[in-house]
Amino acid sequence: MMRHKVLYTVVSVLFVLVGCKPKAELPSQFAETNSEVQIYPDYQGVVVPPNIAPLNFIVRDSAATAFVAHLQGKGHELLAAASKNGVVKMDSAEWRALLQASKGGDVSVDVYAERDEGWVHFKPYKFSVAQEPIDTFVSYRLIEPGYELYRQLGIYQRNLTTFDEVPIYENNRQYNEGENHCINCHNFRMGSTESMLFHVRSNHSGTVIVQDGKARKVQFKDSTIIASGVYPSWHPTENLVAFSTNKTGQVFHLYSPEKIEVMDERSDLLLYDVTKNEVSHIIRTTYDLETFPCWSPDGRTLYYCSTYVKPLLIPELPDSTITQQLLLKYDSVRYNLMSIPFDPKTRAFGQPKMEVEATTENKSISVPRVSPDGRYVLYTKGDYGQFHIWHISSDLWVKDLQTEENYPLTEANSDDVDSFHSWSSNGRWFVFSSRRMDHNYTRLFVAYFDEQGRAHKPFVIPQEDPEWNVLLLKSYNVPELSRDAVHISPQALHQCIYETEAENATYKPNPTAIIKLDGMTGASPKKP
Amino acid sequence: MQQKSSKQPRKAAPKQASASFKKKESIFSFQLSVAKLPVLIVFFLLTWLWAGWYYGSVFYISREYSLWVADPRIMNFVLNQPYGILRYIGRAMLLLYKFPWLGGLLLALMLTAGSWLTDYCLRLRGSWRAIQYVPSLLYMAVVTWHGLDIFFEARTGFIFGIPLLALIVLLICALIIRSFSRKPAPAFFRNPEGETVRQHFLQLGVVLVVMAAIVGFDMWKRPYVRVICRLLDMEYRQDWVGIQKLARANSTMSNRPMACSYAIALVQTGQIAERMYDIRLDYDSLHVHGMDGMHNNASVLYVPEGNYYAGFLESSQHACMEQMVMTGPTIRLLKLQIKCALMREEWELAEKYLAILRRVPFESAFVKKYEPMVRRLDLVNADKEMALIRLTEPIHDSFENQYQQPLFMGYNLLLVEGRSSQALTNSLCVCLYTKLMPQFIERLEPIVGTTPSSIIMDGILLAENKQPGLSQHFSGLNFRQPQLQTFLRNMQPYMKDRAGYAYELFPKYKGYYPYYYFFGNLKATKKGYTSLSSSSSGVN
Repeated sequence: MMRHKVLYTVVSVLFVLVGCKPKAELPSQFAETNSEVQIYPDYQGVVVPPNIAPLNFIVRDSAATAFVAHLQGKGHELLAAASKNGVVKMDSAEWRALLQASKGGDVSVDVYAERDEGWVHFKPYKFSVAQEPIDTFVSYRLIEPGYELYRQLGIYQRNLTTFDEVPIYENNRQYNEGENHCINCHNFRMGSTESMLFHVRSNHSGTVIVQDGKARKVQFKDSTIIASGVYPSWHPTENLVAFSTNKTGQVFHLYSPEKIEVMDERSDLLLYDVTKNEVSHIIRTTYDLETFPCWSPDGRTLYYCSTYVKPLLIPELPDSTITQQLLLKYDSVRYNLMSIPFDPKTRAFGQPKMEVEATTENKSISVPRVSPDGRYVLYTKGDYGQFHIWHISSDLWVKDLQTEENYPLTEANSDDVDSFHSWSSNGRWFVFSSRRMDHNYTRLFVAYFDEQGRAHKPFVIPQEDPEWNVLLLKSYNVPELSRDAVHISPQALHQCIYETEAENATYKPNPTAIIKLDGMTGASPKKP
Repeated sequence: MQQKSSKQPRKAAPKQASASFKKKESIFSFQLSVAKLPVLIVFFLLTWLWAGWYYGSVFYISREYSLWVADPRIMNFVLNQPYGILRYIGRAMLLLYKFPWLGGLLLALMLTAGSWLTDYCLRLRGSWRAIQYVPSLLYMAVVTWHGLDIFFEARTGFIFGIPLLALIVLLICALIIRSFSRKPAPAFFRNPEGETVRQHFLQLGVVLVVMAAIVGFDMWKRPYVRVICRLLDMEYRQDWVGIQKLARANSTMSNRPMACSYAIALVQTGQIAERMYDIRLDYDSLHVHGMDGMHNNASVLYVPEGNYYAGFLESSQHACMEQMVMTGPTIRLLKLQIKCALMREEWELAEKYLAILRRVPFESAFVKKYEPMVRRLDLVNADKEMALIRLTEPIHDSFENQYQQPLFMGYNLLLVEGRSSQALTNSLCVCLYTKLMPQFIERLEPIVGTTPSSIIMDGILLAENKQPGLSQHFSGLNFRQPQLQTFLRNMQPYMKDRAGYAYELFPKYKGYYPYYYFFGNLKATKKGYTSLSSSSSGVN
């Protein structure tokens, strides 16, 4: 790593030496133009947290040879310049001062371009600075978009107030048949990295649990459990994790705007007691597929998604053909949003309740995430399926648990995939992944969620070089906001993954679990 | 002795000497002077010939299977590998193979300089001087031994990286020696002082014999390497006629990358139903290894392109992405991704890949051709290659898994509707290639009453076993019936060991579909519907 840093530094210094930093000076004479400035990424009209890193951008005007951007907030201003490439990079200290001074107000941006005929001034645009900060860190996996194989991937942590990105854990850099492993589904407890987990697949497999700065690897192998733990949710107060366990497969479209369909053949919900290393079922069913568990902030309700697939199957055919049968009806598999009450003291579950019956409107729900104040459930809704990260129809919706109202976050949504999301600890921000920039590579967007429960126009997380959004050949996957940084080192995680065997969790049945192996549960919509 | 005599002024030839004698003498003296060229110069010229002409196409394709841009962030996938910096620099040098003579010149200079420095560092004398060529010849031998493996899994940084490293080490050694011993450097452009004729020819002999052995080994054991690379080069240049000529010239050589290039060229020139079986389609084993070191079927070399030209653009993107995951991006994959994205109207995606390709030296021609097509569907559809591919795109969506894998030329078992007669012809040909007669018969209806092309006619005659009277619906088949009967009669003795006789019979029945039906591609599997690939964990 050090070696590479040295190389990057050397190359970067060379770049700096070769290129000249353009001088930021307002032109004394310029012509007004009615045209709007074309900037990339689109930061016009967005709401930003006061602690966000500079929103560097590229001005797109092929006729110009130089640019100057003039940002003005409450009593503060900032000047930044760009050469022919149009890349406007702002001074971090000046930017911070500008945002702090502009909290609760607007910042106006005037862009000037030098063309053959002289300087021109575009119509100014604004962005707003909210009062509330966003959690400092966002963690994500960087991986090529979709598909079956994996090679060099890692979970990284980005400081949103700067441009610093550090690896939490990277898999083996060099191909090695005996070492190759995939990592996924990292998760924190309520925005704190004190408790963290992620899965390791293939070689060295297991679920890595990090607590008190120490990592250990566990697995859930039992004849009653259909697969490993997959989508996790830490209980907010107890040392428990709810997992889905999914028998998953994926197929590839041949002629469709959507490229991949990821389907579950079966899925159940598990409860894992971290302290006792015990696992039990929450729901175990054959034809009801439950997935994406998420605890409410008080820990008394578990939200999840569920579908009932038996009506899609031909009764005469054996269960071994379920995969093929579902494949032929992939666009008829739809999930509802459910909840199940939980008593943290007795660890007893109650009866499932329908939260949003999306199937009646031929829609499907996935990834419920409850706001930190417990009032809203943010989820994605698409036309079918549960792996909405590949569904163009996927949009962000919320359910107001006070008013029972469901509505789309129109300002945050796009024509393309808007999916996996994570709340900031104060509930005023959420980060989500979207394919809106090129329809293929997901990028992380941040949206302001106001007190009225409305989202505002989101912005892509800023990069020191804004063109990096174009050049990066990886997708941002599973963004998770956290207040603090992950403290355990990649080396310690490496040691845990490579040098320890996964401890098998003891299976201890929960007497209140819902076990129905060949029929419906209360989670299923009523049939006529 | 000869050296001395060569410096002596030549005696004027008697005027009465015959012209032929004069000619012989001048040839002899030219040969002599060439033979007496410093061996290092001869070595350089031969190496340049090898690296620029003989193996130039292999290095050219290696360049296409590589990527280099200055930005270390984009190149992180290389830099974070062991010897990352060496790979990075090696990939940069490989870029010169855009022009094989130039890349070959650089490589030849490096190998020659390495030999020169080896001589200096080892203080070689007399006959031992031949040793100086051993490292460079060893490099050439290793490259030849690896064949397609030198670029197959994109370890392309080592092609120049290893000689560069060797050169640096030798240079450091030479500088140290120079500092301490003040030993004079050996001559580069003239024969060393005191070198005898025997020593001179010994060195020359070693160089010539070993290089001949290397080339001989390549022709004997890896004959397909240069052919495949030349075919791929022509494919990238859309030289469809060139592909057909080369493939037919090597018709007994059989491998899937060649078959795919040939099929693509035939489709592009509308000859798939006429000339498909002009080459042997039995698929000999290739010396190719995957990242796991295990023997590989080399599908990496043709599946993305095969899918693209079969009109399966999403499958091509899929195959490209899988390879980009495993090897990192390469020039060839970026180009194909750009074309697929343009055809699928994924304009931003095309721009993304173009933005990276624009940073690759010597790729401006490709960028210049395809960049204007962004957001211009009319230009995309006007492109000759893309327009033809459009005709074979599927009409309905289905899943790749429901098709026979790999999608070489489109094993379109589910394709029952096509956009054009071209798509139908391709589909009929694929059915014949896969020897799936029921599917072939199903697709014949639209051409009932016509005179089909020769291969399809033979297919219909063979399919009569499954559906008697089938041939009556088509005209022109009567002429081919006797030929088939004769063939079937003549083949009776060979039917007991079809695999054993296939190679022997090929030259006689080249191009004749019934031969392929009974004797060709016997290892082909007939997988139909494949199930959903499942895993017990999350997916990416």
